[in-house]
Amino acid sequence: MKVKIISLPVQDQEKALKFYTEKLGFIKKIDVPLSEGNRWLTVVSKEEQDGPEVLLEPSPIHFAPSKVYQKALFDAGIPYTQFNVEDVQQEYDRLLKLGVAFSIKPTAMGTVKIAVFNDTCGNNIQMVEML
Amino acid sequence: MTFYQQEINRIKSTCYSNQGQIETVVGTRHYINNHFDKEMNLNLLSHIRFTSKFHLLRLFKKYYGLTPIQYLTDKRIEKAKEHLKQGMTVTETCFDVGFECPSSFSTLFRSRVGRSPIQFQKEQFSQSRGNDGFTTLKH
Repeated sequence: MKVKIISLPVQDQEKALKFYTEKLGFIKKIDVPLSEGNRWLTVVSKEEQDGPEVLLEPSPIHFAPSKVYQKALFDAGIPYTQFNVEDVQQEYDRLLKLGVAFSIKPTAMGTVKIAVFNDTCGNNIQMVEML
Repeated sequence: MTFYQQEINRIKSTCYSNQGQIETVVGTRHYINNHFDKEMNLNLLSHIRFTSKFHLLRLFKKYYGLTPIQYLTDKRIEKAKEHLKQGMTVTETCFDVGFECPSSFSTLFRSRVGRSPIQFQKEQFSQSRGNDGFTTLKH
């Protein structure tokens, strides 16, 4: 077995695609139309285009428990997932200029530094830098 | 303050209150990052951080979840993949990332990456040709 995809629930796939590509700098990898306007939509890291894909799936729209779970995590400030960066402070400064909202500013925590932002699609996302 | 912020503060105070230990392991990791291509062992790493090798081993594992030598091996394999992608030969790659024996390197690479260095390199080239619009041959 191999890890090829991680799944991320999003409330609006088109809006999510814009955020993840235009703000975060990911690249669209797969975009397959499915029924009723839904898409099998994945993005990958620009630096690791053959690495794991992030599946932007519209589960909160179609499956009520997914919406409830996503909202509970969001309200508690808990990140749905995390992405690694070389320099958290640098990415924080860059994203802040692009209007991204942070619930946790760059914070050293032992051997890592973290920051948490709102992906505007229902999730908190954590950036992590290994110190 | 959100639940997550409270949890971060709690974990910081319970797990990460010893700044001296953190500086030791972070310093060790940086040393490995900067010297992974040189001969390295636990004796050397502990000497650099003025600590006993067993203490360093325990600390590193406690904070990073793996031993310094496991971390060093991961770093070397990661760099080897970069070199192979850029077209460096297997033997050159082996020595450049700090391994001493090409056959042991190939065995280790296969166990970590799932294919031999040569297979990995061929796969990368066929992928990049495919991306450039050339026909990709698959056997």
